[in-house]
Amino acid sequence: MKCVLVATEGAEVLFYWMDEEFEESLRLKFGQSENEGEELPALEDQLSTLLAPVVISSMTMLEELSDMYTCFSTENGNYLYVLHLFGECLFIAINGDRTEGEGELRRKLCVLKYLCEVHFGLVTVDGQLIRKELRPPDLEQRTRVWEQFQSLLRTYGCLREQEQSFAVEAVERLIHPQLCELCIEALEQNVIQAVNSSRERAGEEALHALLLVHSKLLAFYSSHGASSLRPADLLALILLVQDLYPSESTAEDDDTQPSPWRGRSSQNIPVQQAWSPRSAGRARRSSAGETDSSLPEEYFTPAPSPGDQSSGSTIWLDGDTPPTDTPQVQMAEDTLQTLLPCCPVPSSPRRIFLDASVKDSYCPMVPHTMYCLPLWPGINMVLLTKSPSTPLALVLYQLLDGFSLLEKKLKEGQEAGSTLRSHPLVGDLRQRMDKFVKNRGGQEIQSTWLEFKTKAFSRSEPASCWELLQACGKVKRQLCAIYRLSFLTVAPGRGGPQLPRHLQEQVQTLMQEKLMDWKDFLLVKSRRNVTMVSYLEDFPGLVHFIYVDRTTGQMVAPSLSSSERTSSELGKGPLAAFIRTKVWSLIRRARRYLQKGYTTLLFREGDFHCSYFLWFENEMGHKLQIMEVPVLSDDSAPVGVLGGDYYRKLLRYYSKGHPAEAVKCYELLALHLSVIPTDLLVQQASELARRLWEASRVPLL
Amino acid sequence: MAASSSAETKSASWWNYFFLYDGSKVKEEGDPTRAGICYFYPSQTLLDQQELLCGQIAGVVHCISDISGSPPTLIRLRKLKFAVKVDGDYLWVLGCTVELPDVSCTRFLDQLIGFFHFYNGPVSLAYKSCSREELSTEWDTFIEQILKNTSDLHKIFNSLWNLDQTKVEPLLLLKAALILQTCQRSPHILAGCILYQGLIVSTQLPPSLTAKVLLRRAALRDQRTPAGGEALQDRGAALPLNVQIIPVFLSEEEAVSLREFPGEPITSSPAPPARLQERASALKEGATRHVESTAWTVATTLESTSPDVAWPNGRGENGHVSDHPAELLDTAWGRAPGLSHSLGEQAALFRETEDLDLSEIHIPQDQEMGTSSDYFAFQCVCAPEGGGPHCKESVSDSGNPDPRLPETVPVGTAISGLFSPSAPEMLSQNGALEQCKDLPGDSSAAPISREDCLSRRTSWPLSSPRLESRQTGAELPVGDQGMEQGVDGVHESCSAPHLERGSGSADSQGTRPPADRTDCGSTPASRTGLVRMNLYTHSVKGLVLSLLAEEPLLGDSAAVEEVYHSSLASLNGLEVHLKETLPGDEAASTSRTYSFAHLDRIQNVLMANLPQVATPQDRRFLQAVSLLHSDFAQLPALYEMTVRNASAAVYACCNPAQETYFQQLAAAARSSGFPSPQDSAFSLPGRARQKLLKHGVNLL
Repeated sequence: MKCVLVATEGAEVLFYWMDEEFEESLRLKFGQSENEGEELPALEDQLSTLLAPVVISSMTMLEELSDMYTCFSTENGNYLYVLHLFGECLFIAINGDRTEGEGELRRKLCVLKYLCEVHFGLVTVDGQLIRKELRPPDLEQRTRVWEQFQSLLRTYGCLREQEQSFAVEAVERLIHPQLCELCIEALEQNVIQAVNSSRERAGEEALHALLLVHSKLLAFYSSHGASSLRPADLLALILLVQDLYPSESTAEDDDTQPSPWRGRSSQNIPVQQAWSPRSAGRARRSSAGETDSSLPEEYFTPAPSPGDQSSGSTIWLDGDTPPTDTPQVQMAEDTLQTLLPCCPVPSSPRRIFLDASVKDSYCPMVPHTMYCLPLWPGINMVLLTKSPSTPLALVLYQLLDGFSLLEKKLKEGQEAGSTLRSHPLVGDLRQRMDKFVKNRGGQEIQSTWLEFKTKAFSRSEPASCWELLQACGKVKRQLCAIYRLSFLTVAPGRGGPQLPRHLQEQVQTLMQEKLMDWKDFLLVKSRRNVTMVSYLEDFPGLVHFIYVDRTTGQMVAPSLSSSERTSSELGKGPLAAFIRTKVWSLIRRARRYLQKGYTTLLFREGDFHCSYFLWFENEMGHKLQIMEVPVLSDDSAPVGVLGGDYYRKLLRYYSKGHPAEAVKCYELLALHLSVIPTDLLVQQASELARRLWEASRVPLL
Repeated sequence: MAASSSAETKSASWWNYFFLYDGSKVKEEGDPTRAGICYFYPSQTLLDQQELLCGQIAGVVHCISDISGSPPTLIRLRKLKFAVKVDGDYLWVLGCTVELPDVSCTRFLDQLIGFFHFYNGPVSLAYKSCSREELSTEWDTFIEQILKNTSDLHKIFNSLWNLDQTKVEPLLLLKAALILQTCQRSPHILAGCILYQGLIVSTQLPPSLTAKVLLRRAALRDQRTPAGGEALQDRGAALPLNVQIIPVFLSEEEAVSLREFPGEPITSSPAPPARLQERASALKEGATRHVESTAWTVATTLESTSPDVAWPNGRGENGHVSDHPAELLDTAWGRAPGLSHSLGEQAALFRETEDLDLSEIHIPQDQEMGTSSDYFAFQCVCAPEGGGPHCKESVSDSGNPDPRLPETVPVGTAISGLFSPSAPEMLSQNGALEQCKDLPGDSSAAPISREDCLSRRTSWPLSSPRLESRQTGAELPVGDQGMEQGVDGVHESCSAPHLERGSGSADSQGTRPPADRTDCGSTPASRTGLVRMNLYTHSVKGLVLSLLAEEPLLGDSAAVEEVYHSSLASLNGLEVHLKETLPGDEAASTSRTYSFAHLDRIQNVLMANLPQVATPQDRRFLQAVSLLHSDFAQLPALYEMTVRNASAAVYACCNPAQETYFQQLAAAARSSGFPSPQDSAFSLPGRARQKLLKHGVNLL
């Protein structure tokens, strides 16, 4: 019984999503009251009828009490309603089966909002325009948009329940230095350089290329001029790819009820000895300092490598350590699954908006074009390009930002009439706007800007605050409209410029050739991404752990699978599923307490002793003193990355006190048996964190 | 010990709104919202604002109920949270600050509703029989009392205000307990508690009941003593000095729990007060024996039913408005002109207590008394002319008359319905069937019953109670269930349609014998799941002895005397000793090195060492405690927790019987947050164990 609704103040449905149970409950409600034969109103109308009182009451409360409903719960939390207002749109999430808590529902809403931003960019700033995007007047188009977001929400829901990376909202990497290196090289030479040197690229410039195996990151390469990608954006990309080409893990879950959004049948083909023992002479590139000048570009440091046996008995399952325990290998083979051998059809490129720095200034929601090129089922390559019109996005953002600031000041009532004119911010804004309007032309923006100028800068009769606000709003809307016209209307999917088909195919084929030998290995590896084979022996009583580097947004954890067909360190079936629920609840509670300002949490529940630690380090690994973490209200954006990038803010907040050094933030979540005494637990956690850190410090090349 | 901190009185910023809204008054488009507002706190809130809140919350509650099938219990806003309870047409809403944990907010509302029910009976009838102004005064007093006595920690735990037992000579506590036990031996007395200056010294009552008694004491002191006290003395000339007896209403579960373990009655009862199972088995064995064993519960059940029915009617007849709902006894005097004979007899019993010139049974006096006992009014309504209109009303309420149900639905059945969603089945199984089985036994059982009653000096006359007894019996097997369901059951019950249905069908039968009519009248009362009892309070300066007794106590002056004299001397002694040992508020405790709070989950009492004015450290402690407490309340498997931020580390542990929170106050060396065995936060459990031992808290 789940439902998500986006509505306007007038309770017009901008978007909805519901599961089958909820749809059924609607049918029961509305089916009875209608006469036989008469057609039921559309689902969206039913929903609007049902929830209109809540929406309208919310708006009344906002007006009269300047307060808003944030949550309703019924007896024993059987039904939970979470409301969140974004701009002029009210987001409502409902759960009627107790599978999600308030935190999860709010997170879902924030993720939905974030996905809107990824797809519509700065258009989300304007209440009127975003309405048109989310609910296009054309029915067919509306259905398409809604289906797209409904599918994204569903995929997100699956990933959040299935993947540790989405549970903690950090990118999980496939740790295999040798392969990683190979891929980065390929991405650089065969993809980025190949595209950028092509004459047919139609002004598009390839910025980033990444390889994903299921939802895990294998390799990532950014071109020289590209700014780095936020962890949140990277996660969003993975989500988009998983939505386009759902991998087994997400599809598996729906085996009982056939996957509603993709009619793909997966076939189980046991693969015979697909990956020979790595000892078979496949020389691992020496980890000794290779100052390879052929790789001048900036790229992500891939997998942390252990530097031979230096880290005690920690064994990393990578190139130079042949797996010692054969049962594990056996298990992996048994459970190896691949999808249909045929290659999935590439999807059409998509316009997405990601944060980037343009010309050295930070700019949120810069238009990119995303090409998702499937190599094999479960293995995808993503290519991100930017169009030549990117600078326009920066200009528009800066102008919009300026006007928003102005609006804020007007609302606060500080600046009116004469003082406004003299404000440095306004002078600067005026100059830039004049320049923009002159270059840009455009009838409407010209007249709107003129209107604003006469109101704001007229010496004879300065306009009232309210009038100025109105004018300001109009200018903003015009700017948003230009943004929309430039980046959404002529998006690659809608006939805008894009890389020619054959160029995409060329890149795709090249990568396929490069990875052909590794394909099956990768698919297994992604399922059994063993980080530390021996943790069970080295840390008796430790059941599971998740280590997250919040600065890079990456996490390391033993694999955890509850599916019938795959297994993990913890085996498979009910036990793994049980541990999974424990880990998930630990994550939930850790977040809850972090939201309330607690950075350390230890608790015993049933048979488990759970712990959570958050700390800061400088570049050298020196532990920095803990500081007061802000205490947030229950209705604040959830602690996480996808909906509201909490850790980025936290790092910025902490860095203020440490301006001289680069601050890093780490988290460790551990699950022990409850018989383990606290001091031993802490000791183990400390040792574990130290080892994981050391491992990640070893430079790859 | 953290109780009654005067600091709390001035700032009740955590308690923003409380209102009771009657949706039935606002049905039509044109009906103003204000017509439905029964009570609103704070009363100085602008009417527009009141209407806004009531209207919006009521609207949203309706909408959510529509979608979810059950009303919301909690509505959260950015700055406020509302606990909500829907009781038929009535909507109870408590608005608190968001910092208060959800659980606490909900429990406060439950507590408030409990108080109201305890002293005033079912809300619909209370508001029919008393004016809004009167009840509002009552509300104001309740709320003022709660706010005044609720410290930061009590706010989180909704715990009772208790004496710090470590500061009292254990022998005194023992003595208090003994007094209570002695009182229990008197007839009718079920259980009680002793309070000193508004704090619990000793209690035999379950926490929910102690809370109610506790609040009353305060209310009495503030409100009654000047004027009301005298009035009481006038009327009840024979009530011993400083003694009051008032009718109160217990929920079914509370009543059952009280009766489950009664003290040893010294009266020679043929069938000692039976435990539930015994009664249940008695039921099956046969009517006669059954009647005996259940006879003493009979009375109360009957009584509990009648007043509810009577109020509206009594009021309708003469338009009399009682001065105070809790003193219906007085106000209803002389309200019942047309008493039937049998009713009159019953009334006599009550009158007995009221007038106190009678010590034994006074059946013949009923005619004169008819004018002066409000209990008569109740009874008379139960009689033929009373049941009719009321039942009809119930039927229309339910909108679901089910002819399938046979005749009267026994009280017990109705209750069974309350607790089980599959009520109809329950009805036919437990109620109707039991009833059919029992019916033949009625007539033969009657004399026995009377004898029984008489012999026990409860002076229960007549046939109607006997009939009730059977039904009480029928309820018993279900009672267990009810108890498991917890306190909420009562409130849920109110909206259950099948209950009304029962009364409706009873009415439709039309030609039932009077006894059954009484029964019919009783159904609406059981609808609310309330049982009438008497609250005996005896105050000796700061000390108050409160006893809950079966209803006949009021009519049994000998019993009253007995209780009074058996406790008077010991109470005086106890008071003196307590005064000596508790020299008022101590100076703030000398430098603490730690803070702790320890909640007894069974008794719902708290022990803590926080000063009255919270330091910043204490506030951090409180913040952690409220978070941790919410988690403990939600997750039964969670039993130990340590949380730490830059400036505070709090250790908490719990088991089914207790919750303990501990914070070290010494400024710990600031750590990095990186897991380190040297970190003092991880040694908290050991320290807590060691330090709290001297407070009598054993964490091993």
